[in-house]
Amino acid sequence: MTDKKENAPVLVIGAGIAGIEASLLLANSGRKVYLIEKTSYIGGNVIKFEEVFPNMDCATCMIAPKQQELLADENIELLTLSQVEAVSGAAGDFSVKIKQKAGYIDLVNCIGCSACFDPCPVEVDNEFEEGLTKRKAVYIPCAGALPNVPVIDTENCLRFKGQDCQACQEACAFEAIDFNQQDKELELKVGAIVVATGFSMFDINKTSQYGYKKLGGVYSAMEIERICASNGPTQGQITLQSGEAPKSVAIINCVGREEKGYCSSVCCMAALKLCHFLKNKLPELKITQFYSDLCIPGKAYQQFYQKVKESGVDFIRAEVTGVSESAKELAVKYKTDEGKENTLAADMVILNPALEPGADSAKLAGMLNIPQSREGFFSEKEPDLTPVATAQDGIFIAGCAQGPKDIAETIAEAEATAGRILSRSG
Amino acid sequence: MAPDDKGALFPAEGGVRERVIAFLQKAISQGCFDAVLMPAKAPGTDSFAYSLIGDGQLLKNAYPLPPVMSVQGAKAISSLTRSGKGKKKIAALIRPCELRATVELFKLGQVDLENIWLISIDCPGALPLAEWAKDPKKAEDAFAEILKGGPSESIRPICQICDKFSTTGAEDLHIGVPGKEASGILLIPNSPKGEAILDCLGIAAGEDISGWKDQVDKLTGARVEKKRQAQKELEAKSKGLDKLLDTFSKCINCHNCMRVCPICYCRQCFFESDNMQFSFEDYLKRAEAAGGLRLPPDTLLFHIGRMLHMSLSCVSCGACEDACPTAIPVAQVFSLVGNRNQEAFDYIPGRSRDEPPPLRVYQEEEFEEVEQSHAAVPAKQEARDG
Amino acid sequence: MAKRLGVYVCECGTNIADKVDIDKVLAAVSALKDVEVADRYKLLCSGDGQGYLKQSITENGLTHLVVAACSPKQHETTFMKVCEQAGLNPYLFQLVNIREQCAWVTPDGEEATDKAIRQIRAAISRVHYHTALEKKGMECNPDVLVIGGGIAGIKASQILAAPDRKVYLVEKTASLGGKTKRFSKLFVNMESGPGLIAGEIERLQKSKNIEVLTESEAEQILGFLGNFEVKVVSKAEDKEDKEQNFNVGAVVLATGFELFDAKGLPQYGYGTLDDVYTSLDFEEMNLADGPTQGKVLLKNGQPPKSAAIIHCVGRAEKGYCSKVCCLYSFKFDRMLQSQLPGVKIAHFYSDLCIPGKANQKFYEDTRESGVEFVRSAVTEIAGGDKGLTVKYETETGAKGDLAVDMVILLPAMETSSDARKFAEMLNIPQDDKGFLAEEHQLLSPVASAVEGVFVIGCARGPQSIAESIVQAEAAAGKILSALVPGRKLELEVKTSQILESFCTGCKTCIEVCPYGAITFDEDRRISVVNEVLCHGCGNCAAACPSGAARLKHFTFPQIYQELKEVLR
Repeated sequence: MTDKKENAPVLVIGAGIAGIEASLLLANSGRKVYLIEKTSYIGGNVIKFEEVFPNMDCATCMIAPKQQELLADENIELLTLSQVEAVSGAAGDFSVKIKQKAGYIDLVNCIGCSACFDPCPVEVDNEFEEGLTKRKAVYIPCAGALPNVPVIDTENCLRFKGQDCQACQEACAFEAIDFNQQDKELELKVGAIVVATGFSMFDINKTSQYGYKKLGGVYSAMEIERICASNGPTQGQITLQSGEAPKSVAIINCVGREEKGYCSSVCCMAALKLCHFLKNKLPELKITQFYSDLCIPGKAYQQFYQKVKESGVDFIRAEVTGVSESAKELAVKYKTDEGKENTLAADMVILNPALEPGADSAKLAGMLNIPQSREGFFSEKEPDLTPVATAQDGIFIAGCAQGPKDIAETIAEAEATAGRILSRSG
Repeated sequence: MAPDDKGALFPAEGGVRERVIAFLQKAISQGCFDAVLMPAKAPGTDSFAYSLIGDGQLLKNAYPLPPVMSVQGAKAISSLTRSGKGKKKIAALIRPCELRATVELFKLGQVDLENIWLISIDCPGALPLAEWAKDPKKAEDAFAEILKGGPSESIRPICQICDKFSTTGAEDLHIGVPGKEASGILLIPNSPKGEAILDCLGIAAGEDISGWKDQVDKLTGARVEKKRQAQKELEAKSKGLDKLLDTFSKCINCHNCMRVCPICYCRQCFFESDNMQFSFEDYLKRAEAAGGLRLPPDTLLFHIGRMLHMSLSCVSCGACEDACPTAIPVAQVFSLVGNRNQEAFDYIPGRSRDEPPPLRVYQEEEFEEVEQSHAAVPAKQEARDG
Repeated sequence: MAKRLGVYVCECGTNIADKVDIDKVLAAVSALKDVEVADRYKLLCSGDGQGYLKQSITENGLTHLVVAACSPKQHETTFMKVCEQAGLNPYLFQLVNIREQCAWVTPDGEEATDKAIRQIRAAISRVHYHTALEKKGMECNPDVLVIGGGIAGIKASQILAAPDRKVYLVEKTASLGGKTKRFSKLFVNMESGPGLIAGEIERLQKSKNIEVLTESEAEQILGFLGNFEVKVVSKAEDKEDKEQNFNVGAVVLATGFELFDAKGLPQYGYGTLDDVYTSLDFEEMNLADGPTQGKVLLKNGQPPKSAAIIHCVGRAEKGYCSKVCCLYSFKFDRMLQSQLPGVKIAHFYSDLCIPGKANQKFYEDTRESGVEFVRSAVTEIAGGDKGLTVKYETETGAKGDLAVDMVILLPAMETSSDARKFAEMLNIPQDDKGFLAEEHQLLSPVASAVEGVFVIGCARGPQSIAESIVQAEAAAGKILSALVPGRKLELEVKTSQILESFCTGCKTCIEVCPYGAITFDEDRRISVVNEVLCHGCGNCAAACPSGAARLKHFTFPQIYQELKEVLR
């Protein structure tokens, strides 16, 4: 390899925990890194969790030092609101076209004081909070999001609907709101690319038997994660729509597994984590888990399962055939392996869905010219021997973009991409 | 912990002192150890000092239980072995509180016990140093009566509430002093080293010692109750900043308490170091703010700082109180605070050589009530106070 | 030299100015000792603000700087850089957070102002006692020692070796390839294990920068990131022991796994009944150079007509799921079926653990091929004239038994016995299961608690081959990122030090140091800090009973002066 290739900048796509880790290692070695992220914040899905298994670390506290380090690293250029538009060239000499959407906030002047939110007259559902709470048209997704810079949502901002609203601009003491910003096109020359675009959750709306979005009291696991979060819509108070705390909860696992055709690796542990968290907050809460096979691989997880089980959680190995409303409660109908049918009453139902590839995976795979697996995840070059390499030299994959996995495996893969890129063994 | 209900009876005549000396003389003559470190009377004086005695004959000047604790035994052992062990086998005969302090110093790397045989003895307490100094002869006579089982109101207040006056579990050998009718002293081994002494003497630990144990347990029970009462009264008198200031207002800053404390092993006391030297302006500012400043300043801070440093290891030996020229109940206050802190960590200083000092170990589960909820702390406090 | 202090209060737009009465603050602090300048600025972190600060430091000849603004997390480094540009040592500066800690936490302007004054006075008082600290760098050795020549160790070596980085690969046995070379087939694509290893060894041998030491063991490793001294002893059977000493900058432990000893559970009949095998026995049986030349045969020389595969042997005893057994058992199904068409296979299992995108299909294909899955616990394997009987009990308590010719046990995976040796040698903690523990279970999965020592593959828990390789590459990534040939390692500035005249040698500091940075000097009988390893956490300074351990930039006078003013 030529010296130029060895020291060429690297493009990292996706600023979740995988993208952050890969960027930090590469930058620390002296490489220039472009980290692009389609949202306005870094941290990906992990920062949505109040706590993570199996040690119940506070997720945001856990990754905050890495986020700070990233933002302070002079070798890393973070481009938020950015997406790949086109890729050409080959390993050592890629040319990548990036489109960066205007956020209409001057990054130098804005100090993140949030004075612009209140006066904004628009209120829409906050996607980051799974629509459980509202946000303004100028907003940061949640308290503590980094970089601490708001963004203007052009779909809902009155100015972009032709009205002459200047409420936020008037409230800003730093002249940081700049409606003259334009979307930018950037052309980056890089030697290697790391794809770390993460995962989405299986869309539960594709199922009908669980009453999701139809019955009050039926939640997705991600909604519950936000409800549990101290910076979430209820500041961590676990309540039903009635405002009362639930007395009994049914957790239904493997939602969408059959549709997707694979086990998502982390859901059993995520469900156990929710049990642990809920039991801690509401010790009297009755929790029942419906599951088919308990998938708790690795050295540390069974202990966590046993701890949760001992705390008084019921485990029923059965298929849930339907959730309906009965009187003031929900009725969970289920069928065991032996074919026995039964019903359980609960006032809250949590649906634990499969993980699936990020929404734009197919488009990105096309641009990068790398294959996707049957399931839509990016494919490894050889599944055993080169787990983070792709069919294209110089393009690597890390984290849930490759398949569902936990945080430790994600971090290891991110570090592995750095290993592959920094290796000079040829 | 406490040894089994077995010990060896070492037959000997006379009072406790004579019996113990007989045992030591025999042990030296048999070569069980090379020398003894224990209190002895300097010839021609009334004073007691720790002495290293290798000659069995000289043991006639020894006092296993002198009327006062002029130097804490742990300090004597530390000065002997601080820079490493010697080649000779030394038996150190000390009081249980001195032994517990020795064990604490062992954990802190301040003594080397490899060639030391720790021997403790049932302790009747000691007289206040000041009382003894007024008239040593009279004090010695009074103490002789106590040793014979006479009334013990004259022993130091801290000794009167001592509930760890017998075997502690960390000694190699304990000398039990049974009732008057017994024909000797009890040798109770508590380690392979202690057993080796019995082997060397050619006696077996086959004696039933439950009678002696009952006697110890009974007195322990009474002392625990007495201590509870005394600490309750002391707490009423000294709890809170104002009362504490009051209690220590007589302090003349002589730092004697620190100098005699076996646990205060720092080479230089923080409170005497340059860390506590401030500029004239500093003092002036403080004087202005408070309306006046006592000089030298930070007297109470010294005592609080010392408590913070050593209360987890405080064995309530009373050396500090003996050394206080203005009769501040230093030992009683330190004992009270120490006991509370030790309880919080379920730690008894000197109980075991293997138990690490609490501040060296981190336990994930400890003090969860503090961590979990701030509301729970006052509630607990209330329960304790009420 | 006389001190000349500058105190600057940032308005942070309206964020601080709206709540804190800055003029009152300035009035309260401008007359304090040695304060040369006390001024306010609209936004000190802005480009203009930084320029103003720099100019003001130079023009006023300031020797110490106090800035009252926002959280140190946000702008401490910003202002430290300004100090450097102005020629002022950045450690002669103190940042006071009067935004998050004063302006933003109370609606009461007077309270906010009062607290801001206290905190700024405290910082002024503190900064008087600051001393200039210098950054230090350490030369480092880029070479790497890899212990364990299985697939993880091989891959790590390959990726790390370079013209300016030598790798020593130390393997205890006579050949490389570890367990993988004894797996005739690998899940899920049924490639050949020996074939895979042969290819990798060939690649390895091409590298001039890898020294492979077989029949060798590392006997001593001393040092720290960037500089470990290693002693390796080679013990070839027919040769004299040979000792080699060399230095490396990092160590990778890839000591692999062993199987739980199935003899410990007599109900399965392993070791007592014929035709009860462990998974590794079965792998051997399938190798061309194995005891049956690759043929699956019973003890009596006949091919089995039926087999039972028993999952989770030893799982309850070990207390964890070994992650890969379900998947390789489906591999066994294919191996049996390809040799013995029509063979009947039954799996006895409790929960199927087949995480990941590609694995469910592997399972479904197995199931469709006619393999039976019985969810139940095996209570006993009994021998008899006509073969073996598997006695089992389902979750609902129903009992049953099945006659089979052959039983294959899937025992749990354990860390290898070498793990303890290296844990002790390198002072790396083991978890309660015996595996080598990670620096952080989630965030730092391949680093150990000892900086510069990495743990990969089954040494840190059950893993698949792909996962082991990911970890090999991950360790390489961490090493390549940290140890760049020719670059010095930047050391922590705010380290701890132990003053000899105060140290009583009680070793308390050694026990509370999480980085192994303190050692005991037996001659002087005092503790000594290794500044390369010290991260400046301050545990020792807090725990030292004699005040001998002191943390630079957090000295007793600095903290005392600060607190005194806060509490005044």
